[in-house]
Amino acid sequence: MKIVREALAGTLESSDLMVRIAPRDQGLELVLQSEVIHQFGTQIEAVARDTLEKLGIDAAQVIIEDKGALDCVIRARLQTVVRRAVDDWTADWSVLA
Amino acid sequence: MTDEVVPYRVDPISEPEAVKEIRALLATCDLSYEATVEVFVVLRRGRRTVACAGLDKNIVKCAAIDPALQGESLSLPLMTEIAHLAHERGHTHLFLYTKPDNVDRFRACGFYPVVEVPGVVTFMENTPIGVRGYCASLERLRQPGAVIGAIVMNANPFTYGHRHLVEYAVANCDHLHLFVVAEDTSFFSYRDRYAMVKAGVSDLPRLTLHPGSEYMVSRATFSSYFFKEKNAAADSFTAIDLLVFRNFIAPALRVTRRFVGTEPFCKTTNKYNRDMMLWLRRPESPFPPIEVVEIPRTTHGEIPISASEVRSLLAAERFSEIGRLVPPFTLAMLRDKHRPGRTPSQIPDPPTWVENALSKKGPEPYEDS
Repeated sequence: MKIVREALAGTLESSDLMVRIAPRDQGLELVLQSEVIHQFGTQIEAVARDTLEKLGIDAAQVIIEDKGALDCVIRARLQTVVRRAVDDWTADWSVLA
Repeated sequence: MTDEVVPYRVDPISEPEAVKEIRALLATCDLSYEATVEVFVVLRRGRRTVACAGLDKNIVKCAAIDPALQGESLSLPLMTEIAHLAHERGHTHLFLYTKPDNVDRFRACGFYPVVEVPGVVTFMENTPIGVRGYCASLERLRQPGAVIGAIVMNANPFTYGHRHLVEYAVANCDHLHLFVVAEDTSFFSYRDRYAMVKAGVSDLPRLTLHPGSEYMVSRATFSSYFFKEKNAAADSFTAIDLLVFRNFIAPALRVTRRFVGTEPFCKTTNKYNRDMMLWLRRPESPFPPIEVVEIPRTTHGEIPISASEVRSLLAAERFSEIGRLVPPFTLAMLRDKHRPGRTPSQIPDPPTWVENALSKKGPEPYEDS
């Protein structure tokens, strides 16, 4: 899927994350900020990249402001932000679960 | 009464009662109400307003939390709501000014410090890659040379005075980076100003023309230039703009010298020029100092050429006098666009000769060949 506009999802509350996405010509630029970046930074980034890959997003700028969210929350927020940033949602829900 | 905190959006024009509460809350935090705020977010606990923040386009203003409730992390739901509200209104890149003591609170809300006027005010943006990303793109346009010059001009419109400044600068540095202020609040649109500058300097060697950005004489870095605001922080606005230039833009392009024309007419610009001497050169900075070269305005007869003078002549349709103050391209544009009683916003799309001048977008080095 193609990111066609900037979008925002989530909150800054504890155990949540705020994620912004913006169009980019090619490649994923993922910027992660987290209060737990030293313990979980790698894990959060892996979950984010995996989710984007399953959604078929290979070009975007993604900025994540993490407040200690669980993996399922990270996936949910990323799916939402992508849903808001594309015109044609073609992702297969069954592989996202 | 419940303990739950609920966010509301407040339109300051239609909700005077809510504005009263916002004013009262701001007063308890030593902040003043700003009339330029278009919409507020307030948090209420029961019927009591416990936090507020406003949006003036993409600038967050009037952010306050009831001092009795600080420590309850009310800033998180407040700034979440502001982020979503701003996004709905088409503003994804947000800026704010705050006291340096509050930086950590806004950091927790996804804002990142850009520059600080020591002890007075910190300028922040809501992305970790904003100014740094911009500078990375500037670095690719770096030019070799020991003396690298820079000019930032509004060119509203471009006159022989601007031309003289650019010529002088080109003759006194190895390469000149020329920026056109991007903010679209001037009499002439950014598009037209850029076209006039581009045409006006196209014959000059060793010069790179850059589009302006949010980080240079913009509403964000320098709101008093555009709105002539009067408040305690107004004094610091020139400093913020100049520190962004010194700490980010100049290092990205290795600028060593900034050129500016004397400003006999506009107080704000005059102050900006004087503050430049301080902030670009002060030794208490980890960034290299930038030499400031101020050259006297070109005069036509006895009177210094100024863009504001051209605008008043334009209002009176005195084109023959304008022709002595501006280059042919500018004059042609003024003739073509000007119709009596028309404001620039009503001016129709530019004719093809403007399109042609703009056909190449973006920064475009004029190589010395």
